[in-house]
Amino acid sequence: MNDEAGGKQRRARFQALCQSLRPDLLRFAFWLSRDRALAEDVVQESMLRAWKAQDSLLDEAAAKPWLLTIIRREYARTFERKRFSTVDVDELIAKEEPLLAAAEEQDVNDVRTAIMKLPDEYREPLVLQVLMGYSTAEIARELDLSAPAVLTRLFRARRQLRAACGEDTSRDPQE
Amino acid sequence: MMEHAQYRSAIMADPHNSDAELRAHREACAECRAFTEQLLKFESRLERAMRVAIPSKADVLPFARERGNAPSVVRRWMAIAASVLLGAAIVGGVWLVVPQSSLAAAVVAHMAGEPEAWQHTEAVPQPELADVLKDSKLRLKTDAGIVSYAASCAFRGHHVPHLVVQTSSGPVTVMVLVHESVRRVTPFDEQGYRGTIVPVPGHGSIAVLMRDSGVGADEIKRIAAQVDASIVWTG
Repeated sequence: MNDEAGGKQRRARFQALCQSLRPDLLRFAFWLSRDRALAEDVVQESMLRAWKAQDSLLDEAAAKPWLLTIIRREYARTFERKRFSTVDVDELIAKEEPLLAAAEEQDVNDVRTAIMKLPDEYREPLVLQVLMGYSTAEIARELDLSAPAVLTRLFRARRQLRAACGEDTSRDPQE
Repeated sequence: MMEHAQYRSAIMADPHNSDAELRAHREACAECRAFTEQLLKFESRLERAMRVAIPSKADVLPFARERGNAPSVVRRWMAIAASVLLGAAIVGGVWLVVPQSSLAAAVVAHMAGEPEAWQHTEAVPQPELADVLKDSKLRLKTDAGIVSYAASCAFRGHHVPHLVVQTSSGPVTVMVLVHESVRRVTPFDEQGYRGTIVPVPGHGSIAVLMRDSGVGADEIKRIAAQVDASIVWTG
């Protein structure tokens, strides 16, 4: 096979990989940033970085965590570059209202608003667990935390969400 | 014996934790069982909430215009670099078309949580399989094929059988969704999973899907019909 054909094949494989994973990557970036436009920028930039670094992906089965790591780093870089000041959550919620209120079920929309209000340190491990299916050990590795620290954050995240969504929390344990 | 608070803290951190000690506590404690059921219902809401809609490809341009801002440095650079590197693939495919039903999306999301299910090849012992199927009031005919994985999984507020059946086309995951009705056959192809959800009149629906396979939609449909035919409803 000549170089050109090999290059095309590589590009096609990479393209297919990105296409299959892109919905989840966009959702992850959205919950990370809580900003659809920023999520779009971050994912686009991450895809290009991934394309350039694709030789470091030894196993395609590990593509999703590999891309998620790239997205997290890219988001951190964007955050530094733009030097965001304090985030106004209510403003973010108002801006993303069409997306947050898109579900047919109101109770789902309520949860979305509550997720938006979660602090970053609780929201990120929760999204990795619920949306990405990460185990506690995988979250700990990705976020450079101990497993007990991850479990504490996940516990607090759900406690806050349940309270915000009007769930009966009378039987929830105290820390 | 584990304390209630200890159990609830652990299950709130990971509602799908299948640790034996947690399971034993849940089976022995009605209050914690009720607590878990309430938590799993909330978990189902949470999963659906996180799966925000991804606008279709057709929305890309209006969406870009809606932002109304001058292109950012990143975006300008992207436009140039993308044309060189990935061409239309990235420029045109910012948001993918994902016209899947939320049920299909939830099924695929569930797969990501149990990747080990695909690894098994040995047949699950019959009593274990029967135990998983009994609450859904069904059994499988003997010619259904080797069932290499069987678990009762929390899914959208209910426990449902999650099976992997070895077929001539490869391992196939089957989820029996007696609480989920669909009006028509719903094929889907998302995140490396290709499958279909088939209505079963009077018994909800079944989801049948394969992973990373080149199997076509017609073949999936055939396998789904085969699976459907191998189920004997007992209630």
